[in-house]
Amino acid sequence: MRKWLLALFALGALVFPALAQAAEDDEFDPAHEWDFKTWVDLPFGLDITKPVAYLILGTIVTCLLGIVLMRVKVGKDPTRRQAVGEMIYEIAQVQVAEQGLPTKAIGRWFPYVATLMLFIWVINMLGFIPLPLSDETVDVGGVQLPTLAIFAATSTLSVTLALALMTFVFTHVEGIRANGAVKYFKSWIPEVPKALLPMIVPLEILGQFMRLISLSVRLYANMLAGHLLILTFIGLIFLTHWAVFPLSIVAGTAFYLFEVVIVVSIQAYIFAALSAIYIGSAIEPDH
Amino acid sequence: MLSSLFIAAAEDGADAGKAIALALGIGLGALGAGVGLGNIFGSMIQAVARQPELRGELTGIQWLGFALVEAVVFYGLIGGLLAFVLI
Repeated sequence: MRKWLLALFALGALVFPALAQAAEDDEFDPAHEWDFKTWVDLPFGLDITKPVAYLILGTIVTCLLGIVLMRVKVGKDPTRRQAVGEMIYEIAQVQVAEQGLPTKAIGRWFPYVATLMLFIWVINMLGFIPLPLSDETVDVGGVQLPTLAIFAATSTLSVTLALALMTFVFTHVEGIRANGAVKYFKSWIPEVPKALLPMIVPLEILGQFMRLISLSVRLYANMLAGHLLILTFIGLIFLTHWAVFPLSIVAGTAFYLFEVVIVVSIQAYIFAALSAIYIGSAIEPDH
Repeated sequence: MLSSLFIAAAEDGADAGKAIALALGIGLGALGAGVGLGNIFGSMIQAVARQPELRGELTGIQWLGFALVEAVVFYGLIGGLLAFVLI
């Protein structure tokens, strides 16, 4: 346990060069981490910026995790690697898919919610590992290298909104496919006295769109707030006085551990579980 | 020290007011979520104490409730940040 703590502490300290660099500018502001420069200029606004680079990296890591843990050399005599893969699979099946999806729809939608869970977990986790993907550069022996920085692609609203939109579209497509359009939209209308209907129906329709907002903003704000907290606490050293060093390192490490141990996994699980529940409730509206 | 703070506040009165409003908004949001989280975990402890064999099933529901309640703070945060930047 102590070894792990030391390793995490060292990882946190690696963020320092980035912050020191930022402090050399006229003003330190953690929000500058969210001003993106274009790295590769592509047409139609498909430019590659920092979040896009993180997304590509996250996709590769997710694919590798899936292939290495669950596809390569799996057999009846499980190795430790296979045991980890089976654990992830079991969480995705028992905790996420079976909680929300009706039995007949698990075969079709389990891959989607499981991928969602693993993908968001990987992206969130990459956000807390200092990686040399940063807009700022540091001079090492005459070569301009990007500084190590922590940044999560999920702390930008576009990424989480795109993920939430997928769930939103799948929910209604699947609802119409399973029930027929008329029956599905009728299921939105609850059984209340007729006089209340003009008030209730707009609320129900609004509620469907509020799901989109709540799903995306929950993940986005969690990751944004986590990163802002860590950056602000370490940035206090440069903003005020070097004597706050012990306080800000202890507080920053505490928040870092809280984010890595609890928030990252919980948010990935919640996003996938809510997607499963939404899709499941569209397939069987009565429940 | 204090007087310099007041002078700074007088110069940047609008910004100071916005900062106080932002902090107050998030703080009040956190108050409600704190009560809610206490309720969730308190009920979970009671439920597991009464029927320990249900722990596995309840854990999933507990974390679902945790995330739903916790998100309220962050709606406050995002609303506050938006107001801080836009107004």
